[in-house]
Amino acid sequence: MPEPTGVIHDIGYQRYTGPRLGRRAVFGALYLHGLRTAFGLGRSAKAKIFPWLVVGIVTAVAAALTAVRAQIGEAVMTYAQFADNMSWLVIFFVAVVAPELVSRDLRSGVLPLYFSRPLPRSDYPVAKLLALATALWLLLGGPQFVMFLGAAFTSGDGMRGVWNELLDLLPSLLYAGLWAAVFASVGLLVASLTGKRAFAAGAVVAVFLMTTPIVGTLSIMPSRTVNELAFLASPSTLVGSVGTWALGDLLVPEGQSDFSIGGFGPVYAVAAVLLVAGCVALLLRRYRKVAAR
Amino acid sequence: MSTVSWITLRGLFGRRRFLLLLPLPVVLIVLAVLSRSLGVTPHEWAPPVLVGLGLAVVLPVVALIVGTGVLGAEIDDGTVVHILTKPLPRWQIVLPKLAVATGVTAVTVAVPLYAAGLLADSARLGLALAAASAVGALAYSALFLALSLLTRRPVLLGLVYVLIWEGLLGNVVSGTRVLSIQQYVITLADRIAPTELLLGDVSVPVAAVMSALISVGFTVLAIDRLRSFSVAGETS
Repeated sequence: MPEPTGVIHDIGYQRYTGPRLGRRAVFGALYLHGLRTAFGLGRSAKAKIFPWLVVGIVTAVAAALTAVRAQIGEAVMTYAQFADNMSWLVIFFVAVVAPELVSRDLRSGVLPLYFSRPLPRSDYPVAKLLALATALWLLLGGPQFVMFLGAAFTSGDGMRGVWNELLDLLPSLLYAGLWAAVFASVGLLVASLTGKRAFAAGAVVAVFLMTTPIVGTLSIMPSRTVNELAFLASPSTLVGSVGTWALGDLLVPEGQSDFSIGGFGPVYAVAAVLLVAGCVALLLRRYRKVAAR
Repeated sequence: MSTVSWITLRGLFGRRRFLLLLPLPVVLIVLAVLSRSLGVTPHEWAPPVLVGLGLAVVLPVVALIVGTGVLGAEIDDGTVVHILTKPLPRWQIVLPKLAVATGVTAVTVAVPLYAAGLLADSARLGLALAAASAVGALAYSALFLALSLLTRRPVLLGLVYVLIWEGLLGNVVSGTRVLSIQQYVITLADRIAPTELLLGDVSVPVAAVMSALISVGFTVLAIDRLRSFSVAGETS
């Protein structure tokens, strides 16, 4: 019986010995990727059409408002009213982006790959949520900044005018953040329920649009309390009411507000916080199970 | 009933997904009953409920989800090949699917609208709303079915139409209302049962002719597009 002659050659395979990035890096990468996905960056031209359509319309409206203001010398809309008037476009943007962020991964079944990294279950949805919220905030804040620049350069009374304008802008950016938080959490939760992007987009829009007429109906009910609490029924009026209560005159000039909420301001604030917290909790719950399939 | 319609119906109702459609009509009825029982005058609650919720949201959104679903879902997961390779003329594929989409949408929307119209004014208004929304269901379904053959993202394009064209521009630029199915539906309902509650902005002949034109035109377009349909994998 001959001796075994097999030899194991060392052909140079090496283990990775460099630095290993941890949880934070994975989270950061996921967040950045989500933010890029929201605007279709790094994707084909087709993926850019809808996000940039919305961005284009919003920016065009802001530019038009700035031009009108420069001509007639007074603001047509405050920064906050601008955010309120763009609500349909914000809804559409959420319907475009939220399914893109979560439904794609559900459908193609890549979640087990994500969760095989050093990535806790909760980080994935939170990173996606932050990405969507940031995208929404940029969508609303960017045009407001355009309006600010236009107003600052045409204000006419030097640095004081610019400073006053900046004091108008900052609360509105905070308000835009509130919009972003509420719409991102509700939208992402709805989108994460289904893997079909088409269906998720429809569901997101249905949820947001269905609630607006409920406010309209509740606000004509015979009870004053119900009228003042009616704005709770829809995310966009909820955000508007919280903004009116918390930032008040900073957002809209005295007496021009659309939201007569009486003394229920704190109720609205609590409701907004509960809505966001509830949606995030449900989202985390959803992602505890979803990857198991 | 042809096999294609059966397949389409089972595709729509075979999943739990379709339960997501139910809240829309239920909310409509609940709001109508609530307003009625609390004694709010119909002049105040009918416009937001009937038009603001019923005709502006429930009808287009249900039509969008169902209309793009009947063919779009099969295109999405590739099973449309099974139907396309059968020796069927293309119109025998498009028409049953359009019929199913219209039927499902019409039933989902017309029943709550009939109830709400009955509570708001009279059985005549209810019937008018039901009939007009059935016409609207046909027009919307034809439009969205054709969209699902024209583009890979029919829902988003449909949303552009519903949200930006009918919703945003329709409120600001009144000229766009001539090309808005929602306005045709309102006008037709107002013609069948003249009340103070509905205000159509287009004339009745325009509404009738344009609804027919949209329904027939987009159906023919869909049949034509299906004739030279290329089955490609998902890009982007």
